[in-house]
Amino acid sequence: MPKIRIPSPLRTYTDGQAEVEVHGGTVAEALEGFMSQFPALRQHMFNGQGDLRPFVNLFLNNEDIRHLEGLDTSLQDNDRLMIVPSIAGGRGKDLPAVDHSALRTNQAFIIGLSILAFVFDAPWLAGLVAVAMAIGTILGVPGFGFIYKGLLKPRGWVRPEILHDNPEPHRFAQGLGAVFLVAGVLALFAGFPLLGWSLVWLVIALAALNLFVGFCAGCAVYYWLNRLRVPGFVKSPPDQTFPGMRPKAKA
Amino acid sequence: MTLEIPAGTMKEIHLQGEQAYPEEGAGLLLGKLDGDRKRVLSVVLLDNQREEQARRNRYLLGPGDYLLGEEEASRLGLEVLGVFHSHPDHPNLPSDFDRDWAWPVFTYLITSVWSGKAGESRAWRLVEDRSGFAEEPVAIVDP
Repeated sequence: MPKIRIPSPLRTYTDGQAEVEVHGGTVAEALEGFMSQFPALRQHMFNGQGDLRPFVNLFLNNEDIRHLEGLDTSLQDNDRLMIVPSIAGGRGKDLPAVDHSALRTNQAFIIGLSILAFVFDAPWLAGLVAVAMAIGTILGVPGFGFIYKGLLKPRGWVRPEILHDNPEPHRFAQGLGAVFLVAGVLALFAGFPLLGWSLVWLVIALAALNLFVGFCAGCAVYYWLNRLRVPGFVKSPPDQTFPGMRPKAKA
Repeated sequence: MTLEIPAGTMKEIHLQGEQAYPEEGAGLLLGKLDGDRKRVLSVVLLDNQREEQARRNRYLLGPGDYLLGEEEASRLGLEVLGVFHSHPDHPNLPSDFDRDWAWPVFTYLITSVWSGKAGESRAWRLVEDRSGFAEEPVAIVDP
């Protein structure tokens, strides 16, 4: 019968045995038999989709089965299948690259247009800002990011500032801003100017806090919901960054 | 389970982390399991197999490295107890990436290296359901 050689971290699951005999005409069959003999091993060898984990290497008589026929490789009676670990890891996963210049351009336009809306008493303009933010949120981009991408960046007027950051909290923050702004505009059209403009100014103030201080209040709310384990809020703040503050790590 | 490690061996591990800085250094811990004691008696210093651009935040020991470790262990009458690696300018806590790739039972000894100087090392072991790590106390012993 073919044999499977077990590496030291897995021997706890095989009653200390370094080698066990298995049945099966292929590597897949042999592994299946092996797993049913020692079921606690399965989650360490295979992922949730039933694929072999990437750090599990199988060598058939010293040859990696990836260079043979993979799991379909046939086994002979005297074959020796070795499970050989790859060992990997490392400090925190690199977060995606987020261009903070696009975010800041967005904030600058939100602030500028909302102030113009207030000065000229033009609720429709605040409404336009809200629509841009809502569309941006749906598309997962800054609402006024197209101005940065199409004009400011190509002309070199605004330089990219690419940081390792989570994009999701920024998207959430923009969505939250859009909700406040929509509520404000609805209040304005419904004849509640004090409430309406207060909400518009709240959005202006929070966008300014982000633009000038680097603190994203909506992101802080996101991370707070993450800490409370609210479903859907899966990202935690970047390493050594106060929740909501702009991260320091340049991509 | 406490990880017992001789002062000189810990020094070797720290030195390797400092030499690898700003990249991650790694190797294998060899030793003996005696009931409730996990005694490190030797280490195998290895080269980080990751590509150059990734070595600052990733390490990889390939199957050949592991086999080398097992060979050395059986030569010395020991077994491979786990792995050590450095986190340059980073806390000595296991990352999600460490968890995704972790083997059960193995001890993962992580050393912070701050601006090229090795700091404290802490030992971790994957919990059975792979949801996180449990800390293993480290005891520095005289050889």
